[in-house]
Amino acid sequence: MSDTDLQPAIADRPSLSPGKRIADWILANPAGFPLALLALTCLVVGAINPDFWQLANLFDVLRASVVEGLFALGVLVVLAAGGLDVSFSAIAALVMYTVTLIVSTLVPGLGILPILLAGLAGGALLGALNGVLINLLKAPALIVTIATQYAFRGFLLTFVGTALFMNIPASMTAFGQIALFSQVSADGLRVQFPAYFLIFVLAAIVTWALLNHTLLGRAVYACGGKPEIAARLGFNIARVRVFVFAWAGMLAGLAGILHVTSNRLANPFDLAGTELAVIAAVVLGGARVTGGKGTVGGTIAGVLLITLVDNVLIQVGIPSTWRTAVVGAFILLAGMFYAWVDRTAVGR
Amino acid sequence: MTQTDTDAPFLETRALHKRYGGVHALRGVDLTIRRGRFYHLLGENGCGKSTLIKIISGAQSPSEGRVQIEGVEQPATPDPIAALAAGIETVYQDLSLLPNLSVEENIGLTSQLVASGGRLAVRLRRGEMRALAARAAAEVGLPSDPAFLRTHVDRLPIATRQLISIARAVAAEAGLVIMDEPTTALTRREIAHLIGVIRKLQARGTALLFVTHKLDEAKEIGGTGIVMRDGQFVAELDIETADLAEVGELMTNRRIDQARYRAASPAAAEVARLSVDGLSRAGSYRDISFDLAPGEILGITGLLDSGRNPLALGLAGLAPPDAGQVRLDGRTVDLSDPSTGMDRGIAYVPEDRLEEGLFLDKSITDNIAMTVFDRLRGALGIVSMDRARILAREVADDLKIVAEDVDAPVGSLSGGNQQRVLIGRWLATKPRVLILHGPTVGVDVGSKDTIFRIIQRQAEAGMGVIIVSDDIPELIQNCDRIAVMRDGRIVETFDGARVDAGQLYAAIGGILETAETAP
Repeated sequence: MSDTDLQPAIADRPSLSPGKRIADWILANPAGFPLALLALTCLVVGAINPDFWQLANLFDVLRASVVEGLFALGVLVVLAAGGLDVSFSAIAALVMYTVTLIVSTLVPGLGILPILLAGLAGGALLGALNGVLINLLKAPALIVTIATQYAFRGFLLTFVGTALFMNIPASMTAFGQIALFSQVSADGLRVQFPAYFLIFVLAAIVTWALLNHTLLGRAVYACGGKPEIAARLGFNIARVRVFVFAWAGMLAGLAGILHVTSNRLANPFDLAGTELAVIAAVVLGGARVTGGKGTVGGTIAGVLLITLVDNVLIQVGIPSTWRTAVVGAFILLAGMFYAWVDRTAVGR
Repeated sequence: MTQTDTDAPFLETRALHKRYGGVHALRGVDLTIRRGRFYHLLGENGCGKSTLIKIISGAQSPSEGRVQIEGVEQPATPDPIAALAAGIETVYQDLSLLPNLSVEENIGLTSQLVASGGRLAVRLRRGEMRALAARAAAEVGLPSDPAFLRTHVDRLPIATRQLISIARAVAAEAGLVIMDEPTTALTRREIAHLIGVIRKLQARGTALLFVTHKLDEAKEIGGTGIVMRDGQFVAELDIETADLAEVGELMTNRRIDQARYRAASPAAAEVARLSVDGLSRAGSYRDISFDLAPGEILGITGLLDSGRNPLALGLAGLAPPDAGQVRLDGRTVDLSDPSTGMDRGIAYVPEDRLEEGLFLDKSITDNIAMTVFDRLRGALGIVSMDRARILAREVADDLKIVAEDVDAPVGSLSGGNQQRVLIGRWLATKPRVLILHGPTVGVDVGSKDTIFRIIQRQAEAGMGVIIVSDDIPELIQNCDRIAVMRDGRIVETFDGARVDAGQLYAAIGGILETAETAP
């Protein structure tokens, strides 16, 4: 065929220099960067303090990453669609406190399943409100969710309550106590791995399947890449937007309920101020605030990294006040690294 | 060439009107498209071409009139899915590709979306998508291996992206493919390949509607030329036999000079205005030397990978050369910093006015004055906006920029007027050398005329002008000399008054093969 000889010229792929190879690999394996940092942190901490290598620490980190991980999965979906959400912690607080309060006052004997479902539904509803507002007002997602964050928190503290209470429904206490694994460690401490961690695993699997194996998932990335082109190709942008915020809200509602079950108390002031750390974890995992990118695997790795830093630095004698500085350094590193990846991989 | 021609038209519009507020953009358009034919929609910016396309592709609905596809009336409300389902693929200049998705997704996703009727809560059939994409990619001459199909589109060169958008049309088994300025970003060789692919589509019975400013290209492709002016069809003609000057006249309603604009000749001078000696940049260009006299216009051309673009950037100080020397009126210029070049009097008008040049949401005044704020500074270093406005008005008058006033945002202007604002900005710096990179890309015939006149006037006033372009007629019409680059070197320099297009194409090494591609 006369046109086959033109093929190589037209379909030239970027030639591979070592830098480009790394950049390419990271683009194909977004979890690589946070996993590398994770491994590095473990090795450094473990070298300084060999006590680090024990099951209890692993369980601590995994347990502590459940709530932040659920938030992060929601933020991932929103970021992938080109949005930004800072209202999830307020949604979680509103949902967890309201649901716990209503159940413990009206139906204290209610099982855990309906409580979890109530958390999911309440969160999804509040999240969908974000999406609807963004569509109606044609306003930036950041501004709208800052506003709803204040509104949700204000509503909670003004109309629902401000008092911490500990007489939460029995089913919630019991659920928080179920252990998948339990052991008495060498120094006589009881080590437990909570079953609610499985809920996080399930949420991650469902989110992954949704993003990668449904048309909706592709629509999410399409909107995050070039919304005007996605619309031209027949994707309903407004619907996708409502969905991603509802999804983030739903996971936040779930996270709120799990937060109460693990702490065995409902505090309306909890969870506030976690927004930036969660967004940072997602960005560490390879999502971009500019939208259209990000994976579930990378996000989980990012969350584990942040939780690890949060939990173990104290073991190597770094004062806990320094924790935030280390997290900040990692985020800065991630920002530089991903900017380099984007520059190197796309540039030819 | 096979023509699958049935009597029933594929698409028909009847008495189509479109009003935007007070603007009557379409005034009764009757368009008939038959399968397996080529159509070229010709007209100046603002003549209603894009409105017509938006209506056909379901992005907008007409104010009056109807659209029928294979005898079926199209919905009255905008519905891209319905248009796609009916077999209409629209490839805009941005190629309608999603940069962060893979090749296979870009090719195959719309088919699944159409199959589901726009519903999103359905399973993505990856295997099916991959098979479809592989088939369509192979058909347009792209690789069809999994590694390529999984590459994200933003990592591929523009010519490949162009073919991907056509592969999508193949995958969708489109009855009509609309292409808006498909060749703007392509080199001759790539255009030749594209035309081959397009002929294959035609052989399958697909109709193609091109929107284009390049009349010579339309002529090479052949088919029906539809000339639009003021929201109406003014003529339908066989583009192969049409006289291009006549077509230009129909489009603009005025006589367009196809002859050379260049009448004056460069001033004799002892010292060259710009003297380039042994300029090199690793991997881009080597050993470039030439002298540019005051008032001379030099054209530089070559294939996309010939090094012409890096050379233009190098002379502008945007990508500093590794070796060599540049002297401006005898004084050495440091090219490692764009602002020194600018201060000394070398102005560079970039090719991509939207991405590299203009601030679309800023006013004409802001866009023009931004390079000369230094000169507009009054007491206390405060920039006088009144003086900026006066300057902008002078430039706007001088360059015949059509706008309500100089406070209008540049984004509200037509392509030709935007280009004039960009040129005006650099003329405001009163440069001694003006480097224009693709000065009329995406600009209509009437605006081209104005821009050429501006270039000539500047040269007559003694400015040295360099035009870097792959628009051969444009170079012949304007330049004293035309240098052809290949593999990073200047291989031949022609006298602009004597050279013909064939000689130039031959030297470039990308002779447009019009030979039929075997289906």
